[in-house]
Amino acid sequence: MASARISGVRLTGLAAAVPSSVRGVEDLAGWMGEADAAKVAKETGVRERRVAPSRTCTSDLCQAAARALLAAAPPKTVDVLVFVSQTPDYFLPATSALLQHRLGLARGCAAFDVNLGCSGYVYGLWIAASIVAAGGARVALVLSGDTITRFLDAGDRSTVPLFGDAGTATLLEADATAAPMVFHLSTDGAGGNHLVVPGGAFRHGFGAPADDGAKTPSTLHMNGPEIFAFTLREVPPLVGDTLDLAGWGAEEPDAFVCHQANRFILEFLRRKIGIAADRFVIGLERYGNTSSASIPLAMVTELGDRLRGQRLKLLLAGFGVGLSWGGAAVEAGPLVVPPLMEIDAA
Amino acid sequence: MTKNEFLREIETVVEAAPGSLTGEESLAKLPGWDSMAAIGFIAMVDSRLGVVVNPADLAACKTVADLVALAGDRVQD
Repeated sequence: MASARISGVRLTGLAAAVPSSVRGVEDLAGWMGEADAAKVAKETGVRERRVAPSRTCTSDLCQAAARALLAAAPPKTVDVLVFVSQTPDYFLPATSALLQHRLGLARGCAAFDVNLGCSGYVYGLWIAASIVAAGGARVALVLSGDTITRFLDAGDRSTVPLFGDAGTATLLEADATAAPMVFHLSTDGAGGNHLVVPGGAFRHGFGAPADDGAKTPSTLHMNGPEIFAFTLREVPPLVGDTLDLAGWGAEEPDAFVCHQANRFILEFLRRKIGIAADRFVIGLERYGNTSSASIPLAMVTELGDRLRGQRLKLLLAGFGVGLSWGGAAVEAGPLVVPPLMEIDAA
Repeated sequence: MTKNEFLREIETVVEAAPGSLTGEESLAKLPGWDSMAAIGFIAMVDSRLGVVVNPADLAACKTVADLVALAGDRVQD
């Protein structure tokens, strides 16, 4: 397991943006019936999702979040931009390069993309904090988000009711007085086929049918039982190992913010690990599972008021597509946290 | 846990009437057995028996009795 204890880096700001377009339980009832729609909403805990219009990309949501953040907490410069997403504008060039230009950042800014989802925010923080701590940058901007609804098969009852779109922006800056950040990161590619978009890239070509023949080529295929079993096996030890490396007791974090997979999984994890409900963030009721945006989006919507005014010890845990999982123990706040932004069509 | 107790747990997962399952039922014909119920079954076995069911083994199950067999000697007749 890769792990790191990084000193001299502080989180200074956090922002999130979602599409203004809302899909609710009543939209599901239109094609799966009221009873099934209500049952699915109860099980997943998702009552509303934000869905990006067809021309709105993840980069547009992240750009809006970044603009709000940079306006509210303008750094002298941004030295590195990390774009974490599975839904780029293009195969090439890297979306991060386009965002460097669209955000008006200096040409001296390093920029690159990271293709990760549910664990992506933790990885993004780890990468950015490592670069800052190594002296490669004073200020890092992590843009983490996805428009996963664009990958969904409109008739797939296991994914459509669950996923939503969002983009986020997080600023990290060099600060010798900052408390250490701790990271634990792991991967098991043997499970890569359990959460996959099989078509649309180079393994199966463009427009080729998926192996199971039942899915349209470029839609998300999720094996729910496999992902759940993986979560049960890996997340409790991940949380324990991250707490141990941070030197924190189980009661020490002010809030646990896990990837907002669905309410059933989150509640099961909470009870299995033994975390009090008032310290365990569940923020997916109005936004769904937003993949790489879910942790920072929940931090904005559920912890924003507290993070603006005080320092919180946070235990973050991302897990899913890859399979990939990562935990972080960070002290954050007071932070600049602009209000959640709602974006119309780009 | 006894087999009968385990069947009652499965009834809760699939929202079947208490006492209605015998083990012979086909999962394909069992109302309430879907992907979410499969996740609920994995959760039930984890919390009640302390083991994580292999989802590939679960996917191969055809009957309720196959589900019981997954629990191995943790469920007694």
